[in-house]
Amino acid sequence: MPIVELQQVRKAYDTKVAVDNLSFSIETGSMFGLLGPNGSGKTSSIRMMIGITVPDSGNVLLFGQPFDRKNLRRVGYLPEERGLYKKMPVIDQLVFLGQLHGLSAATANKRALEWCERMEITEAIHKKTEELSKGMQQKIQFISTLLHEPELIIMDEPFSGLDPVNATLLQDTLVELRQQGRSVLFSTHRMDQVEKLCDAICLIDRGKLVLSGGMREIKSRYKANHVQMVFSGDGSFLRHPSVESAKNYNGMAEIKLRDGDDGQALLAAAVGKARITRFEVMEPTLEEIFIETVGDRVDA
Amino acid sequence: MHNVWLIAKREYLERVRTKAFLISTLLIPLLMGGGIVGSVVLGHKSRPTSHITVVSPDQQLATDLQAELENGKDSKMTVDVISPGNSETRKTLDEMLADKQLDGYLWISPATGAAGRPSFSYTPQSAASRLDHDTIKEALGRVLVKERLAHQGMVASDVDSLMEPIKVDTRQAGKIADSTSSLVAVGVLFALMYMVILLYGMNVARSIIEEKSSRVFEVLLATIRPEEMMAGKVIGVGAVGLTQVAVWLVTAMLLTSSSIMAAVAGNKVHVSLSPMQIIFFIVYFLLGYLLYSSIAAALGAMVNSEQELQQLNMLLVMPLAGCFFAMAPVMTNPNGLLARVLSLFPFCTPLIMYLRISLATPPVHIWEIALSIVLMVATIYAVLWVASRIYRVGILMYGKRPNLPEIMRWLKYS
Repeated sequence: MPIVELQQVRKAYDTKVAVDNLSFSIETGSMFGLLGPNGSGKTSSIRMMIGITVPDSGNVLLFGQPFDRKNLRRVGYLPEERGLYKKMPVIDQLVFLGQLHGLSAATANKRALEWCERMEITEAIHKKTEELSKGMQQKIQFISTLLHEPELIIMDEPFSGLDPVNATLLQDTLVELRQQGRSVLFSTHRMDQVEKLCDAICLIDRGKLVLSGGMREIKSRYKANHVQMVFSGDGSFLRHPSVESAKNYNGMAEIKLRDGDDGQALLAAAVGKARITRFEVMEPTLEEIFIETVGDRVDA
Repeated sequence: MHNVWLIAKREYLERVRTKAFLISTLLIPLLMGGGIVGSVVLGHKSRPTSHITVVSPDQQLATDLQAELENGKDSKMTVDVISPGNSETRKTLDEMLADKQLDGYLWISPATGAAGRPSFSYTPQSAASRLDHDTIKEALGRVLVKERLAHQGMVASDVDSLMEPIKVDTRQAGKIADSTSSLVAVGVLFALMYMVILLYGMNVARSIIEEKSSRVFEVLLATIRPEEMMAGKVIGVGAVGLTQVAVWLVTAMLLTSSSIMAAVAGNKVHVSLSPMQIIFFIVYFLLGYLLYSSIAAALGAMVNSEQELQQLNMLLVMPLAGCFFAMAPVMTNPNGLLARVLSLFPFCTPLIMYLRISLATPPVHIWEIALSIVLMVATIYAVLWVASRIYRVGILMYGKRPNLPEIMRWLKYS
């Protein structure tokens, strides 16, 4: 059963259509990536899932049911624009938000302390939020969405503004939660994170669905016709007939092969001319797929 | 309801713990206390304690005047009597004035002719002691009237009782309607509501604007209804104001009930209210406060900055000020049509209904009171409901005004 389902959802604001006839569904227990460039309608879609706004037309189902406020206690939501009470000590803040999600003060307190330890911010728990760094605040907000052990975790741009160490900490936590059987949905405009983490994705652009499905399935739709190679010496082999297009960044080349070519002939040609340290035939990255698909639509 | 309580508690604790709250809560009682101590000091000063001499050919008149000036209700002077005086006396007294041993002397010359009055002349030490002059003049007046009455053959005790100030009690059928007390209570209710709404109503609006800029609302709205948030804010921020006012009122009561106050006032203003009046006072004050705070919440939801809010400030107290002008006709006819209509109009109910309950004979029907309370509660809920829609749609619609179909959809959703 899908845990979230959008059926032909449309949402227009004053001057622009934010979401246009969008349909997709998220399977229970999966890690789902909602992708799209800035202003593509990711946040609008998420807000409709949790009833902050209402679609103009179409249906949004949560846990297989039409919107019902009491189901929100099963959801943890991290908004894109972070917000915490500036003057409130961290621990009070976490307990307060936990209580709003139906926890008792004692349980909220206990879990908050455990999470703070795990997120390596124990020393900050009695400080006021305004005294903390942006990254710290983000971790606190992250914890606040998880205190009530939600079945569905929805995070709008969870990794933006974090340094690589903390981003990895959050990523690992999300992976672990997924392993515990929670469903995770996060939005991002960074494709590389999605490739690593997600089971399924949905790619939207200007409010419209561009691509959706399982991660593997999507990538398998695109043939492995890309080569990344690192070499030193003569680069003239890049004009080999197998090559459709190539970019050479000073000894590191990204090559797109002609349809049906497996790259072996190119490798043989290269070996005679240059010293090869790496030669990898690979599927296109999500980014390339994205550019390709969105670009096509623009052309059409 | 639990969520409302959580929001209210958070709001309350955060505000009560600030230094600003502590300072303003303690400062006002200190000023009140200071004011009272000050007026006690001034009060003592204002009862003249001068040392004067009365020179009179009439021994009786001089001693009566001495008694009046030394133990009268307005003065605490020291009075020496010289009777009768001569030119030597005047010389001595002038010297004493020059030496500042004496604040002044009163010279009484005997009456000329049978019906004539004695003549009086007061020589003060400095021209500034106007107060002494007035006090002596009044005391003399009283003494002379008493003397005249005694001359007419009136007994001394009759004279005293005749000179007592007159007190008028107003009695109405069945009960003593102490209308002065009622009016004082209504006045206090009006002043209190006006002050509290101006001082704290705006805090509700401000706190809602603040919530918009802190962006916490999105987390909150993902769990609770906007109405719950609004109600929590109104109650929490409102309770802060009530706490402060309660501290001030208790201090004021402690101060006024103490003997200090009695010393200042001399003749006490006696305010007596029935338990019913006190209960209605509290009920209508709280409901009024909640109603006006809810409007403040709606204003806060509508605007985006404190500056915009300033312009709407007066809007908040205008209905209340309007009620003030309706008070006079309501007092003359507490059961008249105007009074009855206004007392059911929620924005006027607190003042007008309270005034009617205090003054009306026959008493206001219980159903009218019940209806007024129901109407107020319903209005508070409606205002909060509308405010929460404005808020929610306003912050998430990016400036787009909600149209009717959209509002209908909101209805279904929350």
